[in-house]
Amino acid sequence: MTDASSRLRSRGQLLVAIGLAMLAVLLLIVALGPSIAPYSPSATSPNSLDGPTALHWLGTDSIGRDLLSRLIVGGRGTLMITFVAVALALAAGLVLGLLSGYVGGRVDLTIMRLLDVVFAFPVFLLAIAVVAALGPTVKNLILTIAVVYTPAMARVVRGPVLSVKRWDHVEAARSVGVGEFAIALRHVLPLVVSPILVQTSLILANTIFTVTALSFLGLGPPPPDPNWGSMLAEARQFMELAPLTVIGPAVAIVFASLTFIVLANGLREMLDVGSR
Amino acid sequence: MTGKPASLLEVRDLTATFHRDGAPSRVVNGISFDIAPGEAVGFVGESGSGKSVTARAVMRLAPEGSSIEWGGRIRFQGQELLSLTEREMRDVRGRRIAMVFQDPMASLNPVMSVGAQIDDMLVRHTGVSTRAARKRTVELLGLVGIRDPAIRADDFPHQFSGGMRQRVLIAISVSCQPDLLIADEPTTALDVTVQAQILRLLMRLRRELGMALMLITHDFGVIAGMVERVYVMHRGDIVESGEVDTLFAAPKHAYTQALLAAVPRIESTRRPA
Amino acid sequence: MLRMILVRLALTVPILFGVSIIAFGLMRALPGDFVLAAAGTTAVSDEVLAVTRRNLGLDRPIWEQYGIWLGNALAGDLGTSFATKKSVVSELLPRLAVTAELTLMAGLLAMLMGATTGLASARLRGRTDWVVRGLNSLLLAVPNFVVATLIVLLFGLYFPTIGIFNYVPFARDPLGNIGSLLLPALSLALTVSVTVSENTRAAVLEVSSQDYVMVARAKGLLARTILGNYLVKNALTPVITVTGLQLAALLGGSILIETIFTIPGMGQYLFDSVSRRDYPVIQAIVLVSSTIVLLMNVLVDIAYARVDARVSYD
Repeated sequence: MTDASSRLRSRGQLLVAIGLAMLAVLLLIVALGPSIAPYSPSATSPNSLDGPTALHWLGTDSIGRDLLSRLIVGGRGTLMITFVAVALALAAGLVLGLLSGYVGGRVDLTIMRLLDVVFAFPVFLLAIAVVAALGPTVKNLILTIAVVYTPAMARVVRGPVLSVKRWDHVEAARSVGVGEFAIALRHVLPLVVSPILVQTSLILANTIFTVTALSFLGLGPPPPDPNWGSMLAEARQFMELAPLTVIGPAVAIVFASLTFIVLANGLREMLDVGSR
Repeated sequence: MTGKPASLLEVRDLTATFHRDGAPSRVVNGISFDIAPGEAVGFVGESGSGKSVTARAVMRLAPEGSSIEWGGRIRFQGQELLSLTEREMRDVRGRRIAMVFQDPMASLNPVMSVGAQIDDMLVRHTGVSTRAARKRTVELLGLVGIRDPAIRADDFPHQFSGGMRQRVLIAISVSCQPDLLIADEPTTALDVTVQAQILRLLMRLRRELGMALMLITHDFGVIAGMVERVYVMHRGDIVESGEVDTLFAAPKHAYTQALLAAVPRIESTRRPA
Repeated sequence: MLRMILVRLALTVPILFGVSIIAFGLMRALPGDFVLAAAGTTAVSDEVLAVTRRNLGLDRPIWEQYGIWLGNALAGDLGTSFATKKSVVSELLPRLAVTAELTLMAGLLAMLMGATTGLASARLRGRTDWVVRGLNSLLLAVPNFVVATLIVLLFGLYFPTIGIFNYVPFARDPLGNIGSLLLPALSLALTVSVTVSENTRAAVLEVSSQDYVMVARAKGLLARTILGNYLVKNALTPVITVTGLQLAALLGGSILIETIFTIPGMGQYLFDSVSRRDYPVIQAIVLVSSTIVLLMNVLVDIAYARVDARVSYD
């Protein structure tokens, strides 16, 4: 048994290493963005809908803008929205989950019932409805995604908190008069970190999907800001003329979600979260 | 025992080595023992002493997801079991050697009626139709003391108590009239009152069906009155063996003494001697 | 059993209530906008707006509006479309049927693919397990709209004669209808099949280590009997449950898939309504699909409890 689990752990470490390397690429794109793009994302050239050439590695779009530059700058937008939204969901989920699991009783009941309501909606449908109601701005997009993923986050926090808070060393801390808040912070939080890390990676992958899918439908950040989803939608329109323009955004989307899935799988095996 | 009857089971230099994720670990270190036809033999030892693995070696059953390498010889009715193919071994299992396991709560398939779990064994080994098998199944359930066997055969495991489930599992194991029945801690998971009933049932069936019995337990109290000879196992070795009365009266090995000391009832009878 | 169903349904009612408040509230978040959208254009006089407002009952207090809306919804009236001036229910129902068919096909495909790969992964272990799990991770990373786009691209480039955008209504040609939904269902099913596969694998591994499988082997049963009656029969319940719980993902995904393949289902209806700001339709779709998902979850729960009663050892 110990052999099997240590092997799992080392495979998990490898996956996490790969995931972190992929994440570094993504973060680099976010950090550097326009400065590493060969062209301005809005600069046009007379060669529209070109395939890959020496000048334009991924080709050009329907009005002659460089696709690689748009992919880099668009990636920055897509990932920024994703990171900020998930960070918000994480913060809200932590607060609600800790509160719910730790205080228990009526507070727990109220919070969980409210989250159940949000949970009842198909995620993507709710996102569409909210964006449709509030209008497709970056701020609304971020808020929507944060709200939609908060219940999943809160549940992952609450479960372990419920079981952990009865453990002996928590009891011991309480008996020597450590304050409740300090207990929650110092003793409960560290033990729920593993499942939260895994869940956060999974939600990051889901958020990449939601953000790009919404902009694919035209409900993303308004033009002219490039975005992987809208780029894919655009490429689809001109598919007969320039089929290869689909590849850039498609690969970018898959790469970004794969990053977080690899991270989630690796973390799960490394930290031994869940069953298998 | 009168004379020395021809062996039913003859085990020589048996070794068992687990292979899990590359690292081998030996759990049985070359033990030898015999069981005569119709004889009842006990194997006693703590958990981890290798007694269960020894029992499974005779069935050639490795736990799911791991592989065990067996070494030595296991001759059963003159046939070398370790050199049989898996297909040939399947004809031995259940038909000639059957086994009762420790945990009756987990040993029955929860989505099949208990009757069906006896039927499938009869159909497999005796080649009868399911319908003909059911008739025998009902007899078997009656034999192990299930009331209204014809009705109860259609019930599912969760409708039975632990003791009743162990009776069903015993019915399964004796259904094809095996020559050797291996009982691996058959009463450990049961209430004390039920334990005695199950042991009495095993004794009765052994007598009526003329089976040999290999009884594996950590509890000398279970062995008393059940078997003729005992092998004491410790860390993969047989450290002591002999007639049950002799062993109880004068255990030679320190480990055996310690095991006996753990059984209050036996100790009190031993002290005046 | 009946009590359990009733309790489970009763627990769903407050959630449904909350869902209805959100579905209603969302579209009234910007009340001015609602009237403008209802009037159809932005350049209308104040008198027209006032009339529209009164006709829609928007001059009443908000909780009263909600009460009326909910009452109507319970009576089967989901309002009138701003765009077509027809009843939402009459427009929604035929589209719901199309989406239901697509979702069902996708669910079946996902279960078929997922169960097969998951079973192979758990039973054959070793390299097969490794390949299946690797492929699953990769598949999970490819969003359904990307799959659909790539399928459309491939067929457009290499098989331009196969009209993959030609949705055939079921009433006209049942076989052609199924054929025309096959590729969309496949692109919808891939991601979900990964979930099913992973869960099948876990379930089969879990069942394999159960004592009753060891007992079955000790009985000398044939490998195929053990596989069918002992492993698959026991692993099936969690697999079906998981597939059932993927309905929300399938419904959400169908919006994208229907838009890409131009299938006249609920998803495309929602997409059109969003771009037309046809708020009553959006409200209705949000309410209806959440209700369906909630009821489906209840069904799955009940089905599971039925089997669980047999599994639990008390």
